[in-house]
Amino acid sequence: MPLIIKDEYPKKLFREDGKRLDGRDKHELRPIKMEVGVIKNADGSAYLEWGNNKIFAAVYGPRDVHPHHLAKSDRGILRIFYRMATYSVFERKRPAPGRREKEISMVISDCLEPVLFLELYPGTSFEVFIEVIDADGGTRCAGTTVAALALADAGIPMRSLVTSVALGKIDGEIVVDLSGIEDKAGQADLPCAITWFNDQLSLLQFDGDMTLEEMNKCLDLAPDILKRIYEMQLNALKEKYLKIREEVNKSEEIATEGGEQ
Amino acid sequence: MENDEDESQDIDDFEEIVESAKEIVVPGETLTEDVNNFIPGRGAIFNRNKTKIISLSIGLKQVRKNYINVIPLRGFYTPRAGDKVLGIVVDKNPVKYRLDINAKDEGILKPKNTMKKERGRFIRGAGGRKPQQQDMAPSSTEVYQIGDVLILKVLSADRLNSPELTTVGKYLGKKMGGTIISIGPYSIPRIIGRGGSMIKMLKNLTKCNIFVTQNGRIWLKGENIESERLLIEAIEKITNEAHTMGLTDRIQEFLESEKKKRGID
Repeated sequence: MPLIIKDEYPKKLFREDGKRLDGRDKHELRPIKMEVGVIKNADGSAYLEWGNNKIFAAVYGPRDVHPHHLAKSDRGILRIFYRMATYSVFERKRPAPGRREKEISMVISDCLEPVLFLELYPGTSFEVFIEVIDADGGTRCAGTTVAALALADAGIPMRSLVTSVALGKIDGEIVVDLSGIEDKAGQADLPCAITWFNDQLSLLQFDGDMTLEEMNKCLDLAPDILKRIYEMQLNALKEKYLKIREEVNKSEEIATEGGEQ
Repeated sequence: MENDEDESQDIDDFEEIVESAKEIVVPGETLTEDVNNFIPGRGAIFNRNKTKIISLSIGLKQVRKNYINVIPLRGFYTPRAGDKVLGIVVDKNPVKYRLDINAKDEGILKPKNTMKKERGRFIRGAGGRKPQQQDMAPSSTEVYQIGDVLILKVLSADRLNSPELTTVGKYLGKKMGGTIISIGPYSIPRIIGRGGSMIKMLKNLTKCNIFVTQNGRIWLKGENIESERLLIEAIEKITNEAHTMGLTDRIQEFLESEKKKRGID
């Protein structure tokens, strides 16, 4: 007999001490961990842990387009494959890409396109595979963030990085970085992404109900939050090289000390 | 010494930048806001309002006179005319060969570019011999087989058409035996070193024959498998630590200590 679990969400999304259910303040992010160069065979790759989300991204390209009719003769194309693992959500997700995956792939592709110089690579494609291993709300934002990291790690010329975060409204309050429960039980959800070369929003989706004033408030709040994640992205990219440099310096110091004795 | 050192200008750039500037930059990072005194060079552009110069890829920042450059640490190979590349024949038909040269397009090698043209000796007047068929370049693709490893030169390349290649020239042609390893094209200057110092050292210490090409592939052949393996490990170490200082000395130490350990002479 199949196990039936009712979709029950808590009535209140704030605790009595004024914090959210996972103990965060209203404008506090979940813990984020980023790493680049995790997949050896890919041209560029990145891994992201954002709260309970665990996401891999791998970049290949520029390379031939298959099926060939998708190729553009005057510019390259960016193809995003956003996929969720069957075990990434509570109820088994069917592995075939559905409407949701196709849509998210499309919006991420549109969001990342302005930062690339696609006109320099006619007839080719850049392919980004975003694999969601574990999902807990805000995977499209996390996917965009990690895809930008993987593209930069591949050495593809870019105007800037792209950073994304979801804002929203739960129990009448504006909060940032919605978790899975807040996303489903909350009142509104507003994922947005920024391209840093022109400081403009490249992705903006909206779901739920919110007044215009509240939306403006969200958008005023977004740049500060995005800046915090952007700093983490920069550190993650540099860390890979600085780590090696530090190790080398350390081993040299040991060598010279040994020589003096 | 099989490698030409004609690209020494580029290599000196890389050495200098690793030794002078240590700053690692990432795409979109501001290089300078002083737009009146600096011009964006390689790997850098103005932002839209021309208020600052930003980097295009992950790399090392270099300031040269009033140019700001970014030397990339990672990336893919884009063929340019005059490059020496290592290719593998993947397909052929009576008109041309197709070669995998680690670029987005396959390289094209036509039979007329596989052999030196020998002019038939013409003596004007009566009795002069007309050029015979065997003096001409081969009209069919019979020289190389699928799977052959060739060293080639790029004759022409642009972003739209497949690059055209040739095997006519010094050091070019088929390579027999040996091992091919693939590294990023942007690590090649470090393998060669300033004025070829690194590659000379590698050759002397491992007694291997090395040929480095600009598409990020290295062909090597040693006296025995142990020295080849040691050389591959050394090359991996170089690519890994390409952005650090004093690399040549460190690799020399590494090779000498490993040779003692493994008993290679």
